[in-house]
Amino acid sequence: MSGSLQLTGLTRVHTAGAAPALDDLTLAVPAGSCVAVLGPSGSGKSTVLRLTAGLDTPTRGSVHLDGRDLAGVVPERRGMAMVFQRPLLFPHLSVRDNVGFADRVRGLPRRQVRESAERYLELVQLGGFGHRPARALSGGQAQRVALARALAAEPRVLLLDEPFSALDTGLRQEMHELLADLRLRLAPTVLLVTHDPAEADALADTVAVLDAGRLQQLGPMRELYTRPRSLAVSRLLGGRTEVPGTVAGGRHRSALGDLELPAPAAEGRGVLVVRPEAVTLVAAADADARGTVVQVRRRGLRSLVTVEVAGAEPAAVDAELPPGQEAVVGAEVGLRIPLGARCVVPLADPREVASAHDGQR
Amino acid sequence: MTAAGRSGAGSRRATLLVLPAVVPVVVVVGAALTSAVLLSLGLTPLVGRPELSLDAWRATELGTSIRLSLAIAAGATAVATVVGLCLALAVTAGARRSRLLATLSSLTIPVPHLVGAAAMGLLLADAGFLPRLLGIAPADWPALVGGRWWIAVGAEYAWKESAFIALVVAGALSSRVASYTETAALLGAGRWARFRHVTLPLAAPALAASAAVSFVYTLGSYEVAALLGRPAPEPLPVLAVRLFTSIDLAARPQAAAVAVTTSALGLVAVLVALRSLRRLAAEQ
Repeated sequence: MSGSLQLTGLTRVHTAGAAPALDDLTLAVPAGSCVAVLGPSGSGKSTVLRLTAGLDTPTRGSVHLDGRDLAGVVPERRGMAMVFQRPLLFPHLSVRDNVGFADRVRGLPRRQVRESAERYLELVQLGGFGHRPARALSGGQAQRVALARALAAEPRVLLLDEPFSALDTGLRQEMHELLADLRLRLAPTVLLVTHDPAEADALADTVAVLDAGRLQQLGPMRELYTRPRSLAVSRLLGGRTEVPGTVAGGRHRSALGDLELPAPAAEGRGVLVVRPEAVTLVAAADADARGTVVQVRRRGLRSLVTVEVAGAEPAAVDAELPPGQEAVVGAEVGLRIPLGARCVVPLADPREVASAHDGQR
Repeated sequence: MTAAGRSGAGSRRATLLVLPAVVPVVVVVGAALTSAVLLSLGLTPLVGRPELSLDAWRATELGTSIRLSLAIAAGATAVATVVGLCLALAVTAGARRSRLLATLSSLTIPVPHLVGAAAMGLLLADAGFLPRLLGIAPADWPALVGGRWWIAVGAEYAWKESAFIALVVAGALSSRVASYTETAALLGAGRWARFRHVTLPLAAPALAASAAVSFVYTLGSYEVAALLGRPAPEPLPVLAVRLFTSIDLAARPQAAAVAVTTSALGLVAVLVALRSLRRLAAEQ
């Protein structure tokens, strides 16, 4: 069932002269793996899927499946199936006929189609729902049927276009577990598009971050969290702390002081980014920097605290406190930033850094 | 207020809102049909004493006219349905040339049937524009106008009604057919399978409703058949008008019988269409 997908230099320009919706994307999806394309709205991530599926034609670049160039191959002959944000179950067919659609258009005997559909419905835990009309399902059930229908087509590559974003948190969690289970059983090759870093983290082996049509970074989610290559990637993954300073001799100098870096960084101006989960509030004696709590926000049992550190170029550092630890606005606190959590990215336009801080306040 | 009370009040308000539309229809159509039925049964004669009689129903060539009217309406509606569906698919396909074609075809909607009939006559008659353009002598040109097969009549109705059907079906398909056909394509359905298993079922309710409207309209329409048809046999509306305007006042009950028959056939067609629409809507 699993095929290996290779996108090379994929570019799509919708209107001549306008910025490309997708610009020179090269991405490999090995057989049996799940690669997520993560990006904000309008970043070109859905264009990746449409070009891969053959629903749109690339301006440049190629799509190869198991080494075969798919240029000019119509969607129905590409061996791919897609699950969209909406289930798009055919309203005139029953649940069973929806799941058996691919087999039916292949001309398989009716009995075989029915048996296969029931098998896939069992896989998505909807055994016994086959006789129901498609419109009689809840949102979560309909999306499960859409997934079963796509899997029943036995595609070489399964394309998922934000399939769970319309579901509430509980259902989304269930669908993540279901997909993880299906990956264990069927090992399909999956190319997933999402705007949710948590979803990419839960489902994908590798994540490609896309912004303004360009690939920003590719790697496992842990690496993206701890070693973002740009401010755009850091912000997209929920990074809040951006401290401008100067890198010299493997150390970053800023309002936070002179901090050692875990890996070599380009000399000169650079922005220190740190995940809020990594920062801890400690006694002044053990602190890397000291500052004043200016804001406290509740996150369930945890608190997200913003600490302002005075200096020639004042800095704001966000820290997520563990359950039980509290801080009050105006308190003087020490900040501990573990060596492994420090990462320096190139300085974008300084105004951009300032406006990003303003936006977070 | 209880839920039952609220529901009762809502139902009363709905009835009141519908009344301004229902009352004129019931009064006009009901009064006209009642008077036509009474006239056809000899109970309200223009001259003489009222007497229950089926003479008016026996005197006319109702059977031939019914068969002819049904054939014209069915043929024209069938052609209009196929052409209208093709036009609707062209509009929803989104190609620029298709959109232009669909726009041009929709221009026929505001043209009155009478003008359309005159234009069709000028185009298809044996001395018309088309035989002249093709250089065919009138004697060699088939009798499309006033001929045995009522070709010009069917062509005019099909031409006008196809644009109406296309408009209704395109409206029903435009918002959703693209995403469903893309889904079907990615499940391996080729062009024909997508049409057969997805587009056609999605279009079916709008197609059935607009075809029913077209059929009933064609069944009861007078001017096109009168202008482009042959003198005999006559379709129901032509027969009714001729009998009604006859100088023989005794023909009035026959005209009423023909009108009642036409209305009854239209009503049956509407009931059949509503029944099939309910079934199709239940599947959506």
